[in-house]
Amino acid sequence: MIQIQHLIKAYNKEIVLNIPELTIRQGEIFGLVGNNGAGKTTLFNLILDLITASKGEVISKGIRVRESEDWKDFTGAFIDETFLIGYLTAEEYFGFIAGLRRLTKAETTAFLEKYTDFFNGEILGKKKFIRDFSKGNQKKVGIVAALMGKPEIVVLDEPFANLDPSSQYKLRKLIKDFAAENGTTFLISDHTLDNIADVSTRLIILEKGHIVRDVPKTETTLQEIEAFFKPVVEADVF
Amino acid sequence: MNPTLFTLAWRETIRSAYWGKSLATNIGLGFLALYFSASFLVLGFAIPEILTKDFPDTDPVSKFNSILLAYLGIDLIVRQLMQKLPTVSFKPLLLQNIRRRTIADYLMIRSVFNFFNVLPFFLLIPVTIKLVAETHSGTATAAWFLSLLILIFSNHFLAIYLKWRFNEAEYGFFILLAALAGLFAVNHFGIIDLSGGLGKLLDWVLVNPALSIGFLLLPVLFYLLNVQFLLSRMFVNLVSGKQKAEQVRDYSWLDKLGETGRFIALELRLIWRNKRPRSVAMMTVLMLAYGLLIYRTEPGKPAPEFIFILGGIIIVGMFSISYGQFFPAWHSNYFSMLMCQRLKMKQFLQSFYMLVTVVSVACYFLSLPYAFIHTKIIYTHLSMLFYNLGVNIPLLFFIGLYSKKRLDLNQSSVMNYQGVGAAQWLVGLPMFLIPIGLFYLFKLPFGIVGAYAALGVLGLTGILLHPVIIRFFARKYLKQKHQLIKNYKNS
Repeated sequence: MIQIQHLIKAYNKEIVLNIPELTIRQGEIFGLVGNNGAGKTTLFNLILDLITASKGEVISKGIRVRESEDWKDFTGAFIDETFLIGYLTAEEYFGFIAGLRRLTKAETTAFLEKYTDFFNGEILGKKKFIRDFSKGNQKKVGIVAALMGKPEIVVLDEPFANLDPSSQYKLRKLIKDFAAENGTTFLISDHTLDNIADVSTRLIILEKGHIVRDVPKTETTLQEIEAFFKPVVEADVF
Repeated sequence: MNPTLFTLAWRETIRSAYWGKSLATNIGLGFLALYFSASFLVLGFAIPEILTKDFPDTDPVSKFNSILLAYLGIDLIVRQLMQKLPTVSFKPLLLQNIRRRTIADYLMIRSVFNFFNVLPFFLLIPVTIKLVAETHSGTATAAWFLSLLILIFSNHFLAIYLKWRFNEAEYGFFILLAALAGLFAVNHFGIIDLSGGLGKLLDWVLVNPALSIGFLLLPVLFYLLNVQFLLSRMFVNLVSGKQKAEQVRDYSWLDKLGETGRFIALELRLIWRNKRPRSVAMMTVLMLAYGLLIYRTEPGKPAPEFIFILGGIIIVGMFSISYGQFFPAWHSNYFSMLMCQRLKMKQFLQSFYMLVTVVSVACYFLSLPYAFIHTKIIYTHLSMLFYNLGVNIPLLFFIGLYSKKRLDLNQSSVMNYQGVGAAQWLVGLPMFLIPIGLFYLFKLPFGIVGAYAALGVLGLTGILLHPVIIRFFARKYLKQKHQLIKNYKNS
């Protein structure tokens, strides 16, 4: 689905991302973990052609994202709250995105209905602009908007951050169900290891711009990545 | 005074990504400052002569005193439009061991260092030396000078206070205009001689220098008003916007216009629901009245032609220039989202073009009553309408390619003073100056009417070619997108 070849991003000769080769297959829920500055958002921005690579390229479903814009037809994304239009209400925003993704009004309503539980009655029907929403509710709007029009690839950067505990559980289920139903490829990053270990089918650890682990999810994956990130405790001398 | 706050402000300025990139703006502003200083200086030296020549019967000093109120009134309006408000990102300071009052005092003290508080002295010093000191004792002159200094600074604090207020309720500026016009009328028709009142007061100061201390009450009062206002606003909940049910207007009828309509609906919501574009729209309405100011006829003196060009561009094109100079930065907050969507850059430009066209044409028809003053306005404005749509808008698209600064629309209006200074007027200059230059160029071979026709034809060509122009810029914008995303992220 997505092929990455010799991808390097450098700022002032400092390499922040260096991926010689990476292939993401269709239907994978691709989980990306790594400490701050590991290059997670950089990778997503490169896949979405929001920044230019210093070297190498991203090929999404056979399309070089740098050269053609056709990847937009099958890609949905939510990176951060700058993806939202603050002066619209949630309905207006969904309507705007729906228009760009060629959904009719009826389709939009039917689509949004599926997320009533996730929205928890705090999103729709409020006479409130998105800029006045809480961080968590803004995130919910962005995530659901990224799913509109059944994209084949969905990119979500830290979708679990700022969500309340029940919403985090709902989001886990939501992602898994959506992928099972539509065969969607998800690219997700997050800092909460148990969330990402739960939803992903394949886990990647990025460190200082390099891939240091690339494993399919098994029973023990969570322990493995937890062990990776845990600081080494000095042995007791006494 | 706390010096760390000044260090903070200094770092905020020089470390903003915008600093240094705005060299052209700074040069332009510096040039304007020099120009006005020089004009005031020349005027200052000329005033004693003008007063003795034009009013031989009255004492020139008291004549000067009696027109000062008018100066202060105009100064107040100009400050509203041009003077920048002092700002500090106070949110990180609130949790620190620093008193709110200190922050407020700091802001007020910093506000004093402003060009508008220096400018009057270019006029005042020559007048003091050449006019007042000639006929009065040293003490009297000093007291008089002190009184004026105090008046200038009280005007400064009043202006800042009003500006802070108007920033929350933008109709305030129009109320101020109406109030000043009312006072002018009261004064002009001799109901109450306000201007003469201040004049007499200043005359007394020359007799009893001790009176000048009394003026101190004004700046102290305005200063305290400011501080009280700032203290009441320095809370976090006001920074992140009030949680209230918003009036949500329905623009769904625009969906009938198809793809372009959807973007026009977005632009309309943008204008209506955000303070800054809204004040641009209000300025457009206000500028319709600009003709009353410049199209006045004096018998025997025909207005120079450039007045008609200027009037035409401002009245018909105000919206496109003031709104268009920040294209596409109005959408900077969510620009990367737009760039991830299946949207045609062409439609994005097209919808802006259509919106501006509709508004400009509407302004043209609304400006037609000026034909009662000068019949030729029917065609001068038409020529400027064509020129504006055909030449200025492509120019704005071009400028937009290099837009650097993100406009923060999401911040609520409280404490958001982005773009309320003189710099934002500067970008418009070429839009006015180029057609004036072209006009005089065309006038040589074609004559006056011919020159208007030539400008109109030039514009019409641009309008007819607009599909080509928009396609051209759509390609340019796509190439420029990474740079724009980067600029908006870093500012």
